[in-house]
Amino acid sequence: MFLKFLFYISAFLTVFGAISVVVTRNLIHSCVYLLFSLIGVAGLYLTLNAEFIAATQLVVYVGGIVVLLLFAIMLTGGSNLKVLVNKFGLESTPLMGNLKTYIFAALSGLVLAAVLIKILFSSLLKSSTVSNNFFTTVEDVGVKLLTDHILAFELSSVLLLGALVGAAIIARPQRSTEVEE
Amino acid sequence: MSLISYISISLILFICGLVVILARKNIIGMLLGVELILNASALNFVTFTKYFNSNIDGHIFSLFIILVAAAEAAVGLAIVIRFFQVRESIHIDSATQLQS
Repeated sequence: MFLKFLFYISAFLTVFGAISVVVTRNLIHSCVYLLFSLIGVAGLYLTLNAEFIAATQLVVYVGGIVVLLLFAIMLTGGSNLKVLVNKFGLESTPLMGNLKTYIFAALSGLVLAAVLIKILFSSLLKSSTVSNNFFTTVEDVGVKLLTDHILAFELSSVLLLGALVGAAIIARPQRSTEVEE
Repeated sequence: MSLISYISISLILFICGLVVILARKNIIGMLLGVELILNASALNFVTFTKYFNSNIDGHIFSLFIILVAAAEAAVGLAIVIRFFQVRESIHIDSATQLQS
């Protein structure tokens, strides 16, 4: 029952976020709709018994990549700020929220609350029933990641370090060598 | 909550990402589409782990997909910012040279 409720909310967030990324004209709005879609995918992971992947999705995608995209949009000029007048004669600036964004924010807040409630209940149930079987997949993923896939795990740290150094070098402001010559 | 519903959602994500990549003229907008497609593939891995496979290797694959997406976003956005410094534009049609 709980999982079915979570599934329907997450599917709605994912599908409508993805479609809104397509149809929205403002770039910052479409980035925020991508945020809703990613939160919905995290909820879908939770219904598939993948708690660790859901937490990683929330931390890396929602907390990292979307913020990085928003920074890049704002550094490159972003969307032009015009005051729009809608059909009821009310003025609205494009970067402020309206009723639609508030509805989506409420839904994603529901999904986040459901995630926390699910983790809380599973941890409570696990503490009451002591068994050696994996109740959640978190321990299984951890054991697998540090035994069978340890080479890929270590290489991924090298990949992230290389990506970070490369991004810092590429985005560095141009040194004026012409002035010195 | 069957297999086909998850596959349908993944299909919609993939189609939307493809449409975004194809339809946008903005480079950052196209990167949004890349993120949608990577999410669709990771969702497929976790779905088939639940319904077809008993081991946990699909979850490991999803973790590495998320990691590669993070690295790709960092490097791609750095390239976009550098391109904006050189060309004063992030329109894809103004990217015609490899070296300025």
